[in-house]
Amino acid sequence: MPKTSMPVVKRPLSSWIFAENTKFQLLLLAVIVITVFARVLPLEMQKRIINQAINLRKLDLLFIYCGIFFAAVVAANALKFTINILQTLISQRATASMRKALYEYILTLPLSFFRDTQPGMAVNALVNELSLPGNYVGMAVAVPVTNILTLLTFAGYLVYLNLSLAAVSISIYPIVLLLIPLLQRKANQYNKERVDLSRDLSSRIAESISGIHEVQGNGAFSIENRKFESLVDRLERVRIRWSIYRFAVKVANNFFTGIGPFLVFILGGYLAIKGRLEIGALVAFLSAQEKLYDPWRELIEFYQVYQDGRVAYQRTMTYFDVPVVHQIHPADRMPYALDNSVDIENLSMVTDDGIRLLDDVSLALKPGEHMALVGFSGSGKSTLALCIGQLYKYTSGSIRIGGQEVADLTKQDIVNNIGFVSQAPFIFDGTIEENLLYAQRAQRMDQNPDGQGADPSLDDMIAVLQQTGIFADVLRFGLNTIIQPGENPELVEAIVRARDKFQRQFGHDLSEWVEFFNEEKYLFHSSIADNLIFGTPNDPAFTSDHLIENTFLRSFLREVDLDRPLLTLGAELTIQTVNLLKNLPPDEIFFAQSPITSDELGPYQSLIEQLRYKKLHQLGDDTKDQLMILSLRFTPGLHKMVALPTLLERLILEGRDQLKDRIAEEMPNAVSTYRVDQYSHSQTILNNILFGKTQSQAPHVQERISQSIVQLLIEEDILEAIVQIGMKYQVGSNGDKLSGGQRQKLAIARAFLKASQIMIMDEATSALDNKSQSRVQNIIDNRFKGQKTLIAVVHRLDIIKNFDKIGVMKAGKMVEVGTYQELMERKGILYELQYGRK
Amino acid sequence: MNSNMEENERGKSSELQDNINLLREIDFFAGLPMEVVKLFAYLCFRVTFKPGQYLLQQDEDDACAYYIISGEVELLRQENGLTESIRRYGADSFLGSLALFSPVPRLFSLRAVNDVKCLAMDRERFSKAVKQFPDIMPRLTKVIAERIIAWERHFILKQHDRLPTFDSTIGISLI
Repeated sequence: MPKTSMPVVKRPLSSWIFAENTKFQLLLLAVIVITVFARVLPLEMQKRIINQAINLRKLDLLFIYCGIFFAAVVAANALKFTINILQTLISQRATASMRKALYEYILTLPLSFFRDTQPGMAVNALVNELSLPGNYVGMAVAVPVTNILTLLTFAGYLVYLNLSLAAVSISIYPIVLLLIPLLQRKANQYNKERVDLSRDLSSRIAESISGIHEVQGNGAFSIENRKFESLVDRLERVRIRWSIYRFAVKVANNFFTGIGPFLVFILGGYLAIKGRLEIGALVAFLSAQEKLYDPWRELIEFYQVYQDGRVAYQRTMTYFDVPVVHQIHPADRMPYALDNSVDIENLSMVTDDGIRLLDDVSLALKPGEHMALVGFSGSGKSTLALCIGQLYKYTSGSIRIGGQEVADLTKQDIVNNIGFVSQAPFIFDGTIEENLLYAQRAQRMDQNPDGQGADPSLDDMIAVLQQTGIFADVLRFGLNTIIQPGENPELVEAIVRARDKFQRQFGHDLSEWVEFFNEEKYLFHSSIADNLIFGTPNDPAFTSDHLIENTFLRSFLREVDLDRPLLTLGAELTIQTVNLLKNLPPDEIFFAQSPITSDELGPYQSLIEQLRYKKLHQLGDDTKDQLMILSLRFTPGLHKMVALPTLLERLILEGRDQLKDRIAEEMPNAVSTYRVDQYSHSQTILNNILFGKTQSQAPHVQERISQSIVQLLIEEDILEAIVQIGMKYQVGSNGDKLSGGQRQKLAIARAFLKASQIMIMDEATSALDNKSQSRVQNIIDNRFKGQKTLIAVVHRLDIIKNFDKIGVMKAGKMVEVGTYQELMERKGILYELQYGRK
Repeated sequence: MNSNMEENERGKSSELQDNINLLREIDFFAGLPMEVVKLFAYLCFRVTFKPGQYLLQQDEDDACAYYIISGEVELLRQENGLTESIRRYGADSFLGSLALFSPVPRLFSLRAVNDVKCLAMDRERFSKAVKQFPDIMPRLTKVIAERIIAWERHFILKQHDRLPTFDSTIGISLI
């Protein structure tokens, strides 16, 4: 990294030229100088071959000079390639450093910046706009130096040949130098517009994609298209103008340099006719003059690259040039370990439009005190919490934590001392465990960049999972995991033991809700494939993904007359499912009970036409395969759009017996039939314990089953192992495979695990069920009171009784502060909030 | 579709079809377009309760509404540790729909008297489905508004003899 402490957005473009790249730039310069030499060499050889070798009829000289000529050509090309590599290297390194530095900077910008910035803008800046300046950096040293040198050399040579002719031909260049910047200025103006428009366009795209639910839900396609099209049209116009001016620069340049020989002919011709110049000298001058063109053209091209790069760079950097309000790391000290008292005096926050979001708020909390902030939405309670957490910047007054002014603290001071749980916590794509450890790992990375150090113990993690009530969810994720063959052998053994116990203790009670694996019965909560095979595949050909290519099974189905009824069922499933789901977004909730996944909906939708006009036997093999896939997946208890015909149910049960015999005869060991004393690696842990499948998704049933299982898992000492598996559950991007409540619980667990001295909870429990809410409240009351200072923005008044202080806010003002008892007796605003208007 | 399939169809109707028929019995859903009823029928689920099990608990936000297919449930209110039984509901009752619109703590409990079979819909499924058909929201609010008015009218008529000394709690339909 360069030794500059200047923020990246303030760095001039030129500062990137030598940053990190000095060696490469010098190397490049050296290579180019050699290249110029290697290019001159063939000219010299050409002369010598004709003058010396051919004229003097010397064969040996011919071979030597031709050899040198050839070597020079090879060298020139090899060097050209080296130049390309070096330039690419420098420009890519520069672009990469710019990207990293800008990204690092953007992450630290104040929240207010992101309120009016779409993610697309940052994406565009980081991905697209920085490549033009990068190109410039790659050319910035070598190109101007070598070309100016070449130019001067040839100009000197011209002067040496003939002063007046040289003066005339060089006189053009000042005109070009005057004219081109004028054209370029216009080009720059359009380039600026182009950069801005590209940014708008990117943010437009990002906005409609992130809001695709709304767009599709409201059928707002034409609105979105109109907005997008008008931007694209403007961008099109600007890009055309930009390109025209860029070409105009090239044309003007070519034109003026093109009239060079014309001037030389006029003047030189005149002189020659008057006998003041030899024809030979005129010819020599003309060919020397030609040599000026190449370096000049390269210089102009370089000038254009510079201008385009400069505009894109400045436009991008200026956009993000928002002052970073708070330093990230303290410059000259270790981060503070603050005393956890909070003192707020005359705090105000006024927006640019003069709206007072906070108006002269004062309060004081002693270490370990708990305060609830209540009030209608818009009263400023969240704003106050965000100000204390340094996420908003207050405009006047003071907030002191442990005596230190919050505005003067660095981000790291805040992170080390405050745990913040927001209303809609951000959950990252990754596992539960990674999310749980996020705050701590971030803190550790900041302290030592390689991130070494111990994670909290499993016990600690399990403790916070329990405290926040997400334990049951994590356990369920664990129970729904399939253990691969060979993995975790002790656990597998313990599960088989637990199964036996489960049957004895709960089998009878739960029989209504669990469909046990029973060889004599049709399993309505298993797929047709599972019903037929009724066992764990050992041969991969019998796993659900490969059944369709399994020729043994397919010919078996034809022989036992199951082929046609299954295809018929597949067709019925296709029609009913597509009909039901064709216009719905790919949301888990719509597709959980569908045999067709959201990705497959398109292909199946295109089958509908065929199914309408063709008979089954007329369908192609591919289509039949698609129908068969669906049919083998069909699980009557789940896919309720179609009923399982009674006849087919009987045929499948008979088929199960026949298939078992057939496999035993022809492919022994391909499948192990479900047996009470064997673990099935095709089933989840839960199904293995139950030796069956749950039949109901109703919460009270799930809870009843969970209770029985938890008891059993504790007895068998495998609860922790399964929770550990559950913590590896992938939560999806933005955590969207978790419910709102689960996301909040996870965020609270994350804060509990971090155990900061000060906690700020901004409606952190709003999506929690009562039980979890009171569980969290209990932890706060019993464990944290007197230890950790808490500021909680609260929307439900039934949990505030135990807080040390309650602050009631209205229109940015703190209108009442006191204990619950005091405020109730006062019969003021809190009383009104609680019991409604008198 | 070919003839083979129709023969299979004739035997049994699917759970989806049964659910559609049930939903069309409920005033809440009856007036909605068929496409919407079909989606709701697809998203709702069957639940059974044994005698003594709770469908809803007082003070809890269960986020669920129930249509009773068979069996009987009892409405309860706990007050100062005492549980008072208020009334019973039988088959065809549709209960708890306000929870579909917003998280609300229940003011009552609902307990199964005998074996109860229900069709249930929860808030998450309901709101995702409504999002797909925003046009139905006004119709749903209309049903709710009409129910509140009808309830209070009924209440006032029952209290007729006590006129004009209504207590201060009346007037819920003016919310």
